[in-house]
Amino acid sequence: MKHLIAEFDAMRKRYPAGAESSLVLPCLRRIQEDRGFVADNDIAELTEYIGVPRIQIEEVLSHYTQFRRAPIGRWHVQACRNLSCSMRGAEGVIEQLSRKLGIAPGETTADGRFTLSTVECLGSCGTAPVVIVNDTYHENMSPARLDALIEGLPK
Amino acid sequence: MTGRKLLMTFPVTATSHLLADYRARGGYATLEKVLRQMRPEEVTKEVTTSGILGHGGAGFPAGRKWGVIKLNDGQPHYLCANADEGEPGTFKDRWILENAPHLLLESMLITAYALQVRNAFVYIRGEFDLPYRRLAAAVEEAYAAGWFGERILGTIFSCDIVIYRGAGSYVCGEASALITSIEGKKGYPRNRPPRLTVRGLYQRPTVINNVETLANVTGIVAHGAEAFRKVGTAKSPGTQLVSISGHVQRPGVYEVEYGYPLAKFIYEDCGGVLGGGKLKCIVPGGISTKVLTAAEIEPLTYDHASLAGAGSGVGSGGMVVIAEGTCMVRLLQILLRFYHHESCGQCTPCREGMGWMHRIIDRIVAGEGRPEDIEQLIRISKANDGTTICGMGDAAGYATVGIIAKYRDEFEYFIEHKRSRLDGRLEVAIP
Amino acid sequence: MIDFFINGQPVQAEDNQTVMQAAKANGFFIPYFCWHPQLSVPGNCRICMVEVETEAEGGGWLDIACNMPVTKGMRVLTDSDKVRARRKETLQFITLNHPVDCGICDKAGECTLQDYHYEYNGAPSISRDAKVHATKHFPLSERIVLDNERCILCSRCVRFTREISKSHALGVQSRGDHSLIRPVEDGAFEADPYSDNVVDICPVGALLSRQFLHKARVWYLKPTPSVCPGCERGCNVNIWHRKSEWKLKALDAKQNARIDRVTPLENPAVNGPWICNKGRDLARILERARAEQAMQKGRPVELQAAIDSARALIGTARQPVALVSSWGSNEELAAFHAALGQRFACYVKPDWLPVPGERLEDDLLIRPDKNPNRAAACALFPALPADVQSAFPPDTDLVLVWGEGFSFAQLPPTARIIYLNSYLQPENGHADVFLPISAQTERAGHYTNFQGVVSGFEACFAKKPGVADALALFAAIAAPAEGSKP
Repeated sequence: MKHLIAEFDAMRKRYPAGAESSLVLPCLRRIQEDRGFVADNDIAELTEYIGVPRIQIEEVLSHYTQFRRAPIGRWHVQACRNLSCSMRGAEGVIEQLSRKLGIAPGETTADGRFTLSTVECLGSCGTAPVVIVNDTYHENMSPARLDALIEGLPK
Repeated sequence: MTGRKLLMTFPVTATSHLLADYRARGGYATLEKVLRQMRPEEVTKEVTTSGILGHGGAGFPAGRKWGVIKLNDGQPHYLCANADEGEPGTFKDRWILENAPHLLLESMLITAYALQVRNAFVYIRGEFDLPYRRLAAAVEEAYAAGWFGERILGTIFSCDIVIYRGAGSYVCGEASALITSIEGKKGYPRNRPPRLTVRGLYQRPTVINNVETLANVTGIVAHGAEAFRKVGTAKSPGTQLVSISGHVQRPGVYEVEYGYPLAKFIYEDCGGVLGGGKLKCIVPGGISTKVLTAAEIEPLTYDHASLAGAGSGVGSGGMVVIAEGTCMVRLLQILLRFYHHESCGQCTPCREGMGWMHRIIDRIVAGEGRPEDIEQLIRISKANDGTTICGMGDAAGYATVGIIAKYRDEFEYFIEHKRSRLDGRLEVAIP
Repeated sequence: MIDFFINGQPVQAEDNQTVMQAAKANGFFIPYFCWHPQLSVPGNCRICMVEVETEAEGGGWLDIACNMPVTKGMRVLTDSDKVRARRKETLQFITLNHPVDCGICDKAGECTLQDYHYEYNGAPSISRDAKVHATKHFPLSERIVLDNERCILCSRCVRFTREISKSHALGVQSRGDHSLIRPVEDGAFEADPYSDNVVDICPVGALLSRQFLHKARVWYLKPTPSVCPGCERGCNVNIWHRKSEWKLKALDAKQNARIDRVTPLENPAVNGPWICNKGRDLARILERARAEQAMQKGRPVELQAAIDSARALIGTARQPVALVSSWGSNEELAAFHAALGQRFACYVKPDWLPVPGERLEDDLLIRPDKNPNRAAACALFPALPADVQSAFPPDTDLVLVWGEGFSFAQLPPTARIIYLNSYLQPENGHADVFLPISAQTERAGHYTNFQGVVSGFEACFAKKPGVADALALFAAIAAPAEGSKP
């Protein structure tokens, strides 16, 4: 995490004084962006850097769905399973992804390329069904577009 | 045409979100006028007189919220724009973040000036990608142009802004959970009292407003409260960005003037039911508002009084269209699964109740429903009404009670016959 | 002061009090799980909801009392039909996934959930679905075991580590009904010397003390007020042991005279409702092997013979020095002073020094002097000087050592030794006269803590026949022997 400290120091400047505790979420996000997940020693180092009780960081990591403490597949395929998406074919999308990748939601392919998850509403209901791959939204996912998306992802 | 427009007043192009385009449209001129010619309390007065109601779901008068902030009380005040937009069916704040981020920023600066805020935040849900990038770029443009930072336009007004990204928790869209999240902790809502305008972020007076509510501030101050009140209805002045989805021909974000006929909006402006089918019901404003049947929406206009009078609400502006043939039992299952997943777990009725309702509906859908299940779902919903720390428990209860009240026969059928009367359908056939 | 009404009766609240606090102060009981007078208000259990009467349509509204400010003239109902119905619903939720472990749960008999269930609900669960399962025996630390199924997530334990012991050692992992109390991963809970207080404040049987686990049903035990001798704070405690009417039923005679557990006895002037773990472990101190036999130079003798020998030694000594126990009670110290204070050059010794790894001092309870009554002793006698040898003039011919913790190697080799001690120690056999004395749990008395606050302890057990009470002993050995000069 040490190589990120300069970034964290710069980030701090726009926060009000005494708001160090706020740094927990943005720092964790940056660490995860960098490493792919948050490692145990990241927690210790971040505790020291920010100065909040360590338990706060552990709690945050377990509360928010986007944080993870172990690596996942190179491509995190997240399919919305909420209302509008379900009404426009999300169940089929999830089933198609599961079949195509050979894994159930929550699992990672043996070669480590893909992790499949189902998620709740992504705020894109007008272009349902919607899938996120890593950070990018993919909207209006017909079966054909879905196949093309998966096949088009680099190894 | 869904009535007059206050926000969607320019064509969306490849560059219309950028500072140069915004300036060309008159952007930041109102901020300049405010900083040079108005006192903070005058701004608040304008917003209060406008009568604008919150656009996040609660519909609370924004000016009344602002009015609680005591100027010159010697302590820091905070402003947070709620861009968490997690209510299923809702994607209208996203339109502002992607296409008019500077409108939001200018409005936040005007608001920060009115409330003596030195540090402002935009809490944006962690999943948003393009909206975040557009907003972040706009913030950097604004800083570079001197709209943020120390002594803006050479006045004594200084303001910094932080875009705070969430990390996957619907309940962080609730105002008190939002600020607990900004404090770097689990997204736990807080009990009131104290109101957040008295003790909020870091125990300081804090105003949290929805993105759309804030986006309106520039226009209200530029053209005046009276001009604003000429749009919409007396009790619901202005407009609402409505995000419509589901079994609708033309889903998307529309700006609807309050008072506009609801049926007209759905059938004409949005093209009616997908595939030309019949309308069964709608979720008017995010899944936490009670469903309204096709018959019920006929006489309604799109505004707070009309929808509340029908037993529902404007809510978050997230409208979902549901066609005939949709299985309401399976639909409720999706909602209860959602609420269960998102419950923060603090308070007893919601923590236990959401899981309980989810397990009951799962059983019903699996063909293992029991006759007492319907009454139990209603009982659990009622036991979450007004008993929880935040509104999520109540919301789940309203959604459940609303659907059961109007489609009880589908539930009874499912329990008795161990299958859906409508084949468990959630999609419609598109010819 | 604010005037308002509870159940129709006019009462008063102090400014800034909540309805919960004001009700308690006025003798009205409102049930609570998550509220605690010493901790912040989370308002999560929802069992304390009360009704506030209003003239508006629909009648009164309900809200939690623990976070409700008292306003002038408000009319609160703590037991109306609406309140009772709400409590029943809340209890339905709390017991929804709570395992019916009462038959094997240590908390039975002192469990808030049990009490409220009988008091306010009495109705079985309306759910016919399987309960959500979680970890049954999570090792929270060497001292405490956690049952997540029983836990009602009131967060008292978390708030205790945040606000009182400040170890920040517990938190809530995950969310929703998957929430689990978990310790921070760096072992801070294991190292928290106040950790066991969470066992007391847990309203259910989720947090249990391992040393008490499955040892005894609480209704067979009685608490006897006592004072922890672990340091000069003198925290008030309850020592739990078998009720006399249940002694006949015990299978093992040792169980009748055993310290089953130690819990805090609330004293706002000393320790509030807390004690540290050393106090929990008093059995380790007070139940060490006991000295029960008087001796002379290691040879067993009758107690009276030993007393006579001691008296003779004292009668003929020319330069007697006494090392006074800082574990002596106020009464014993006064008796020593009266009987022997003129005869001996007296110094107060620390019976116990801090052991390696023991916390020396903090802002909460723990004090650096690990003896309970130095204050009272030093009010009567000077402390032993740092240069111990200076306490013994060259011709010291008799040393009376009262209490443990003093190495005989430090004594002048030519001096005779009278030794008063409760515990079996090698020194006992080296004393010219050894007199076994009663332990704290075998007598009543008082200690004065470092702030001058006096606390009392009562006897839990009877002493053995060959063991003497120090109090009576001092007069007995001070009396002039026949034929000796005064």
